[in-house]
Amino acid sequence: MSVLTKNGGSRSEGWLLSTILIVAITLTLAPVLRLFVEGVTDQDAVGLSLAGEVLRQPSTLSALKHSLVTAGFGTLVSVVLGSAFAFLVALTDLRAKAALVFCLMIPMMIPPQITALSWTQIMGPSSVLLKTLGMAPPLGSPQPLYSAQGIILLLGIQHMSIIFLTLRAGLRAIPQEVVEAARISGARGLRTWWQVVMPLTLPSLAAGTAITFVTALGNFGIPAMLGIPAGYATLPTLVYQKLAGMGTSVLAEVSILAMLIGAVAVTGILTQRFFQSRQRVYLVGATSRPLAIPLGAARLPVEVLLWAVVYTILVLPMFGLLATSLVPAYGVPLRLDTVTLQAWTEVLLRQPVTTRAFANSFGLAIGAAAVLMLLCLPLAWLMERNPTRLSRLFDSLLDLPYALPGVVLSIAMILLLIKLPFTDATLYGTIWIIFFAYLARFFAVMFRPVQASLKQLDPAMGEAAQTVGASLFQRLRDVIVPLSAPAAAAGAILVFLTAFNELTVSALLWSSGTETLGVVIFNLDDSGETAMASALAMTIVLVVMALMVLVQLMSRRFPKGVVPWQT
Amino acid sequence: MKTILTTTAFALMASTALADTITLYTSQPNADAQQTVDAFKAANPDTDVEWVRDGTTKLMARLRAEIEAGNPQPDVLLIADTVTLEGMAQDGLLTAYQSPEAANYDSALYSADGFYHSTKLITTGIVYNTGIETAPTSWNDLSDAAVKGQVAMPSPLYSGAALIHLATLTGDDSLGWGYYEQLAENDARAQGGNGGTFKAVASGEKPYGMVVDFLAIRNKAEGSPVEFVFPSEGVSYVTEPVAIMSTAKNVEGAQKFVDFLLSAEGQDVVLEMGYIPARDGMGVPAGFPAREDIKLMDFDPATALKDAEANKAKFTELFGAE
Repeated sequence: MSVLTKNGGSRSEGWLLSTILIVAITLTLAPVLRLFVEGVTDQDAVGLSLAGEVLRQPSTLSALKHSLVTAGFGTLVSVVLGSAFAFLVALTDLRAKAALVFCLMIPMMIPPQITALSWTQIMGPSSVLLKTLGMAPPLGSPQPLYSAQGIILLLGIQHMSIIFLTLRAGLRAIPQEVVEAARISGARGLRTWWQVVMPLTLPSLAAGTAITFVTALGNFGIPAMLGIPAGYATLPTLVYQKLAGMGTSVLAEVSILAMLIGAVAVTGILTQRFFQSRQRVYLVGATSRPLAIPLGAARLPVEVLLWAVVYTILVLPMFGLLATSLVPAYGVPLRLDTVTLQAWTEVLLRQPVTTRAFANSFGLAIGAAAVLMLLCLPLAWLMERNPTRLSRLFDSLLDLPYALPGVVLSIAMILLLIKLPFTDATLYGTIWIIFFAYLARFFAVMFRPVQASLKQLDPAMGEAAQTVGASLFQRLRDVIVPLSAPAAAAGAILVFLTAFNELTVSALLWSSGTETLGVVIFNLDDSGETAMASALAMTIVLVVMALMVLVQLMSRRFPKGVVPWQT
Repeated sequence: MKTILTTTAFALMASTALADTITLYTSQPNADAQQTVDAFKAANPDTDVEWVRDGTTKLMARLRAEIEAGNPQPDVLLIADTVTLEGMAQDGLLTAYQSPEAANYDSALYSADGFYHSTKLITTGIVYNTGIETAPTSWNDLSDAAVKGQVAMPSPLYSGAALIHLATLTGDDSLGWGYYEQLAENDARAQGGNGGTFKAVASGEKPYGMVVDFLAIRNKAEGSPVEFVFPSEGVSYVTEPVAIMSTAKNVEGAQKFVDFLLSAEGQDVVLEMGYIPARDGMGVPAGFPAREDIKLMDFDPATALKDAEANKAKFTELFGAE
């Protein structure tokens, strides 16, 4: 950490900082404020009568209960799976750790609606895979995933990577010497883990748990695909159903619901911050070598078990998806004489909506990555050099639009942009409302890696350039940008990946001609075109995997801590 | 470079309205909508069609939001039922157009003022998975205690056809609301649209269902393990009418589209897709009984429109759906 000097700045820097900061605050925090204002006003007067009315509705209360139950137990599943993997990978002498970690990251990168779609293809009497194997359950058996338990299981799998990552980062901070000391004193494997490792990792586990809970709470894809057919609504799906069925007439009502989700989420975020701040246990010693407690004879069985879990949560559902995409009609078993590429050609080559959605998602993702890069690079650098009270405040709040559930942000965006101030124009129903929502949502995804890499830069570089008379623009162009480019590139790829697959925000903001890929998959499945939905989902999975491999190959050029699965 | 990429991407996205483009909102399944548009474009090479598909209810909510925002997108609507369009016509949202093709249609199939014209006949009957023992023959077979928890149906809160189906069956003397009460007691699942219902039946998750005819008959031909039954009491029906918005930007193109759908050529496409054409003397698709053998239940659009909200509320109360 470099010590910052307040006198290193210049007037042009101060001016530029204020400008970009205003843009960034408008983007990220204005919608949240606008939503808050909507919640506490009632017909243009300050009042909570509408809020009270909405909060007393039975549908609200049951959705809140469902949200808490699914997010709570889903987090529990994530904690069990994620921490088991984290402890084994970080502490023992397993082989092929890198491959295992990479595979564990895939569920996090695959959009939840695709996770849900793929799992429904391998369970229940409808499973093409089970039918083909002749193992399908009897007629009239319910689809077991259309239930609270199904939502919990898939939320757990979807978010186990978050626990895995935070915990592994915590485990890596434990010096080898501590464990060695315990072992010299005669503690055996499990006891070392329980009495030495466990207490030291509790803060990171608690922080990871809180953030997982918030993420699960805001998840839309899984409860929408599994809950709506069962009539089981969570808060985000309730907002979606109200808005999709009634239009903007219920905007005030869904704003209250959005605030309710926001309130629960903020509690989670504050919990996470609290534990994050306790995490800095000052441990003496370098963390040069990762721990490798020998598993001995148990190593092979443990490895087999871990890979079997990976296979079950990753490979099997993908096979299910593939099988469904290759049959001519729903319910037909997949055999050599029934296999057809009909769904693939129809969805990829004939449906204009797919082409449109590819163009939209691609354009939005590239656009968001580019604009955020242009904003975040100078902003992060200037905030690093001239910390003001405002920029510190912004720094602590900029994660909000990303951490808050997507539904909350979408409603906030509609409120903000449905009637542009001073004009009659509206951005509701245009591609721009989705674009601005993406900028707000993914601001932190781009900003944090860039900030991390700039913190590692020696300020002397910029100062030297300043001494020889380089202007602000020249210093940015010739010194700062080249040095932080790898981090910015990684941030851009992450923004691209998440925006490309996004559903929660666009589900509420799409309109004719502005469909995103997430929306198209959801709508295809909704209208019974499961084979087409599966074919498109398979295509997207392949694109995501290709991008992840690309990041992996380029990862040696990025600073530490940029690639999420290589912390 | 990046910015150039972005601007081009956005330029591509901005729906550059060609001189002759019509925008269509439809509740047809994706593949059918595409086939309809393709056939129209083959007949009218210089008119382009942009289209959007969603369930009738959601599509209407979207349209209402657009109207409120002062920017309704579509020129033409092609949606499940006349009731929705009758409501829109009364609100002054549709343009009257007397298509010359209407002469070949039964006068019950289009609005006298020319606000909308029916394009096909879609009946709702019973679908069942071929894995079951005894085939149902009557609507009452679905409310039988023997099939408790085995029945799926589309929700009237989502599907236009399902709302009409509800209005038709509850308006029938022998069935009435008592029938729906029995269905609710029988744990019949009413969620989403016809697509999801068909999926549940074809997959065997719910072996019995109420569904629109073409989905079942068409997929059966493709190899899905299902059968479709026209119950002894008769079937409810919707007619998928086409209408031109009063705010249409391209009225001429929209009129061409209406004329094409109603023409013999357009009705051949309907037949080819596996629907019963609305036009006189067109025959029926493979797998359907002759048109005169299909018993249609009585249905009054005016009453259905008047009762729509009350019906939805009553349904929600019975089935506890949101």
